[in-house]
Amino acid sequence: MHSPELLKGTLQTIVLKVLKDHGKMYGYEITQRVKELSEGRILLTEGALYPTLHKLEAEGLLKTEVVNIGKRIRKYYVLTAPGKAIAKDRVTEFMDFINTMTTVLQVKLD
Amino acid sequence: MLNNDHIDFIIKDLHKRGLLLDNLKDEIIDHVCSAVEERMERGIRFVDAYEEVIESFGSTAGLQETQKQSAMLQNFFIVAFRNLKKQAFYTSINVAGLAVGVASCLIIMLYVLNELSYDKHFKDHERVYRVENEIKFGDNHLVMAVTPGPLSETLQKDFPEVEAAARFWNRKNRIFRRTDESFKEPNTVMADSSLFKVLDMPFIVGDPKTALKEPHTMVISRKAAEKYFPGESALNQTLLDNNNDSWKITGIFEDLSENTHFELDFILSLITADYNRDGNWLSSNFHTYIKLKKGADPKALEAKFPKMVMTYVGPQAKAALGPDFTMEKFTAAGNKIVFTLIPLADIHLHSDRMAEIGTNSNIAYVYLFGAIAIFILVIACINFMNLSTARSSNRAKEVGIRKVMGSFRSHLIRQFLTESIILSMISFVIAVVIAWICVPMFNEMAVKNLFLPFSSPIFWLLIIAAALVTGILAGLYPSFFLSAFRPAAVLKGNVALGTRSGIIRGALVVFQFWISIVLIVGTIAVNRQLSYIQTKKIGFNKDQVIVVKDPYALKDQLQSFKEEVEKDSRIKSGTVSGFLPVDDSYRSDNTYWPAGKSPTQDNMISTQSWDVDHDYVKTLGMKIVEGRDFSRAFLTDSSAVILNQAAIKAFGYTTDPIGKKIETYNDQSLKTYARYTIVGVVEDFHFESLRETIGPLALFIRSSRGSISFRFEGKNTNEVISMIEQHWKKLGPGVPFDYTFLDQDFGKMYSAEQRLGDIFTVFAVLAIIIACLGLFALTAFTAEQRTKEIGIRKVMGASVSGIVVLLSKEFGKLILIAFVLATPVAWFAIDKWLESYTYRTEIGIWVYLIAGTAAFSIAWLTMSYQSIKAALMNPIKSLRSE
Repeated sequence: MHSPELLKGTLQTIVLKVLKDHGKMYGYEITQRVKELSEGRILLTEGALYPTLHKLEAEGLLKTEVVNIGKRIRKYYVLTAPGKAIAKDRVTEFMDFINTMTTVLQVKLD
Repeated sequence: MLNNDHIDFIIKDLHKRGLLLDNLKDEIIDHVCSAVEERMERGIRFVDAYEEVIESFGSTAGLQETQKQSAMLQNFFIVAFRNLKKQAFYTSINVAGLAVGVASCLIIMLYVLNELSYDKHFKDHERVYRVENEIKFGDNHLVMAVTPGPLSETLQKDFPEVEAAARFWNRKNRIFRRTDESFKEPNTVMADSSLFKVLDMPFIVGDPKTALKEPHTMVISRKAAEKYFPGESALNQTLLDNNNDSWKITGIFEDLSENTHFELDFILSLITADYNRDGNWLSSNFHTYIKLKKGADPKALEAKFPKMVMTYVGPQAKAALGPDFTMEKFTAAGNKIVFTLIPLADIHLHSDRMAEIGTNSNIAYVYLFGAIAIFILVIACINFMNLSTARSSNRAKEVGIRKVMGSFRSHLIRQFLTESIILSMISFVIAVVIAWICVPMFNEMAVKNLFLPFSSPIFWLLIIAAALVTGILAGLYPSFFLSAFRPAAVLKGNVALGTRSGIIRGALVVFQFWISIVLIVGTIAVNRQLSYIQTKKIGFNKDQVIVVKDPYALKDQLQSFKEEVEKDSRIKSGTVSGFLPVDDSYRSDNTYWPAGKSPTQDNMISTQSWDVDHDYVKTLGMKIVEGRDFSRAFLTDSSAVILNQAAIKAFGYTTDPIGKKIETYNDQSLKTYARYTIVGVVEDFHFESLRETIGPLALFIRSSRGSISFRFEGKNTNEVISMIEQHWKKLGPGVPFDYTFLDQDFGKMYSAEQRLGDIFTVFAVLAIIIACLGLFALTAFTAEQRTKEIGIRKVMGASVSGIVVLLSKEFGKLILIAFVLATPVAWFAIDKWLESYTYRTEIGIWVYLIAGTAAFSIAWLTMSYQSIKAALMNPIKSLRSE
């Protein structure tokens, strides 16, 4: 398990990238997918995920589709065109960050 | 798999845990369901799976935290709009009041800015001054805008700091023609060629340096050039005036903008007139303008003027008043001749002297209107604050809940400020529309040509900035007041609305009505003084007299024109005279003394001397109180004079004045005397504004061409006019026919007061409407608050009228306080204003009572609608629900 402090700044990047790779997803699906990809080492909390989703939606990077399934309503999130561009930028930005960190911390990635 | 019972359970449980937010609710439910499903697929029981999932959310607290996090990101705007929409009644009253207030403020601002901009468009206007002249001599005190002729040349010659000086002379109507058709040109003046060195007036064609150097040349405005020479070049063309003198156009200047005290379309070369060479320092007829060199001190220049007076005026005064005259003795007797400078840009607002070029405005009006604008805006803002704080008890619960949910105080302040800024923005948009619609009406009333500068980005910036500032100012108090609520207290029900807000709200209502009552009293007073002026016995009969303009255009045909018109049975009599009692601008002073005595400082009386004919007194309906009117039967009447009562008193002829004589200088040389016998005394009549006392006046039988007027009878005025016009056209072909009525001209003398009255009325009405809007909403609110109390009172047997009185009493008291506070202020202000009138109306106590009663009854009517509605409500309804 990674510390939530480390995750804080990357949450948006994770959400954007996951949505970019998988098209439309709903909140629970995102947490599951991230869990799967990180082999259980990153667990998104709902308390962090939903505010992030709402913020990204308010900024116009995401849009939502609502589907009725039985007694429940499921809300899917999809990247908008600007959202896609930003997702790419964020990933590049994060790669740069990792490179900088390796030099700062004097470590090597294997 | 989850079944429906499971899902219902989850929904219900989540609600119980406080999941409320609309756009988050469904999502969380779905999330929880999916997570539970996944666990159940792994073989975990529903109850355990649900427990686990909720724990992963951080239980109830975590759930609410999530909700709060999402809620805070919501736009303040959405909440604000919902709130405003929910309270549509109060919102619309707020917006309407503020919009009207801002629109009035905007229009008044335009007016004030326009007044302040006068003559500032001339290049180097800071260095341009007008020279003014004040003479005190015995009982005569002349404060004039005009100066002696030689002054301009002397200033240029003797004072190196004067860069240029120029004079205007002989401002009057002139009639010009190119071929057959003639036009009357009121903005005609003669001026020195150095004028364009003093005033920067851009020329379209021609050379300003040489334009007025030759006799019989003139420069004209672009407007004038296009009028006489449409589509062709006016340069070097000539126009003829009514004396058949021809004037060559040597230059065309760009039209002056309207915010100038000059009235210039035709500028004739002053060198043409013989009078130009007159070196007389004792008569003042020229407007003199000078431009100082850069860095020159006007005060230092003024300090040198007394010596100049000694050098130039002294010798000429000695020649006129006898050898024992010295300047020292002259000043020792309290007399003075003083020249002063006034900056060009100050003339419009700060100068009210004899012989001004036009009627100037007054800085007091600028202050007055500015104050009214601010008052109206303040009233509108007070409405806003009052309504918001008053409604705070309703919103107190909202504040409590928000705080419990984790709102910080800053969030709440921001929320309330957003609301008030949105309101203010909407109001400003509406205000701009209202102002845009109303500016033309205001222009008509104020005789201005104002417009909203829509194309100027500064205007929009200012509007937006003002909207923000107003929104913040109006919202600041309510937002701090509301956000300070302690949630525990609020939610328990004992809202801290206490007396504090009640007192402040009361004070604000008092202030609003204080302003309104002052404005109402002001309006009544101004209008009463106006009607006093218009109905006062003025000493002549201004009704049913038609005045035909420009009689000099008929030249020697004038007498036969008069005789032709008089033949008509509808004309009672006609008169050709130099002056009419309504000529406010042009006067003719002369100095007289009792015959037989030598003229000294003590017995010389400055007297209006008017050239009239035998029918003057009869036509204008004046009254001879002693002696007789002029008569054709007495050939000696050419050396006779009729004096008014003021003149009789001034000459000291109070007992038996008939037959006594007065003397004056015969000509410019001041050597020979002319003597006149008093044949009659005319009752004092007002010949200038009622601000002045009636001065000495003398009427002489002399031929003149100043004006011709006819007294007529009968109802059909149009027929009389067309009859006179026919005769005019016959005798003066090509000369434009222009007429007015004496009562109209008389009214024009008071147009400034009339305007003041009109504008005052409009804005006083606006102020009280806005104040009442606020009161209306406040009573509505109180009634709503006290619905239960009223219901219980009614059940206990209170009557409808009792309840109406109960509801009105509170605000009634406030208005009474406002009245008590407003009366002394209004009394003081009106007293000050009326001091400028020698003849003024009494403003009795009843005026204040009327104003107070009016304010009270308007306010009461406003309140009664709400009070009666509340009082008539069925108690069952008002007591039924929580």
